[in-house]
Amino acid sequence: MPHKCTSCGRTFPDGSKEMLSGCPDCGGNKFQFKPRGRVERDEPSKGGSGSSTSDTDTAKATSTETPKPTSTDPAKPTSTGSEGVSTEHESQPTENNRTDTGTGVDTTDTKTDIDTTASDDADQTPVDPSGGTERVGKSGDEDAAQANARSDVVTPDELDRASEPVPAHDTKGPDPDSGDRPDIEELREELNEQFESIRIVSPGKYELNLMELYDRQEYIISLQEDGRYVIEMPDAWGISEE
Amino acid sequence: MGLLTNLRDSISRVTDGLFASDEPKRIGIYGPPNAGKTTLANRIARDWTGDAVGPESHIPHETRRARRKENVAIERNGRKVNIDIVDTPGVTTKVDYKEFLEHDIDKEDAVRRSREATEGVAEAMHWLREDVDGVIYVLDSTTDPFTQVNTMLIGIIESQNLPVLILANKTDLPESNVKQIANAFPQHETIPLSALEGENMDEVYTKIAEYFG
Repeated sequence: MPHKCTSCGRTFPDGSKEMLSGCPDCGGNKFQFKPRGRVERDEPSKGGSGSSTSDTDTAKATSTETPKPTSTDPAKPTSTGSEGVSTEHESQPTENNRTDTGTGVDTTDTKTDIDTTASDDADQTPVDPSGGTERVGKSGDEDAAQANARSDVVTPDELDRASEPVPAHDTKGPDPDSGDRPDIEELREELNEQFESIRIVSPGKYELNLMELYDRQEYIISLQEDGRYVIEMPDAWGISEE
Repeated sequence: MGLLTNLRDSISRVTDGLFASDEPKRIGIYGPPNAGKTTLANRIARDWTGDAVGPESHIPHETRRARRKENVAIERNGRKVNIDIVDTPGVTTKVDYKEFLEHDIDKEDAVRRSREATEGVAEAMHWLREDVDGVIYVLDSTTDPFTQVNTMLIGIIESQNLPVLILANKTDLPESNVKQIANAFPQHETIPLSALEGENMDEVYTKIAEYFG
């Protein structure tokens, strides 16, 4: 039974539509993905079911109890190693409707839930892909919408790095010297190439790509130090009238 | 054909005039941080409505959300112009909380201000794309106008075909150099002023009526 409700423990078969609107027994909206043939273990965020206020806490709890997710996990977006705000995470249209994973639940909350679950998967999924066990993200084994939603979140790795007070890791990124640069054209080119709208260099320190901010239809209305942000979507999103 | 063209132009002018009188033009006050945008917005709003738009400060990024003063009616030479003034956060490519530490602001507050300022820039850029009919671009005449931000913003405004009025502010300061601003953007008229002291505001209002009326 690959999906287990973290509140009451009820399990659901892969692709089950019952869990799409929450656990029918307890109403919980956190589920843990357990590949078949896997040994049960403690969940990383106990008592967190139904909570919609502890986004960063949950993420931090996850990060302290679990090792960094391995890059071999096919369900993770390939750009997780990129720094700062990558606006693709929330604005990128996906093939399937993301709300499938959490109908009736606040979007941010849903993302956190998925995030937690995904990190647990990473913990449990062996690096060796040759085993006969199921792998997260195999479209044949898991409901496509769930697999997609799982991959469409900010990863714990990214959250960790964004919330760290000392930008030790960031300075090793593709932009090692974020100080003054003599050549404006060079800077401009660099800004355009390296990140999208806003880059968090470290908490309280930002770099902005003005052209990108100007060009975007949606606009960022709220930033959080953990790398999350809120955007306002235009009314006609997806219709592409303009 | 010439007659028809003239007739069409006349009708167009009349309809434009009708729209101009009915709906206020939304004029965004843009520029880098600490150029005096809020001081100018307050000066205009106080002169014509008696109210202020927002608090002024020497601390950069004091304006971290766009503020609007609606239906400011400016009369010049028998011509009345209705505008909504949008005072926007200073636009920049980098925001660093350390800027605030120099102004006796503790680190936690500085980090928060920094985040809000960044959101403000995003908002200002969005407004420029979506919501303004004209731009008053305010520059500090004591500083070098040849910056990436100024060049980029003026370029964006020009590409949108928005009417833009460039103001060289802070002429009350001894190191003010209006000429270098005029030289930086020769394609536009540069109006000197001191929003703080109210110097040359008559000309500013005349130009607002001319550009945005």
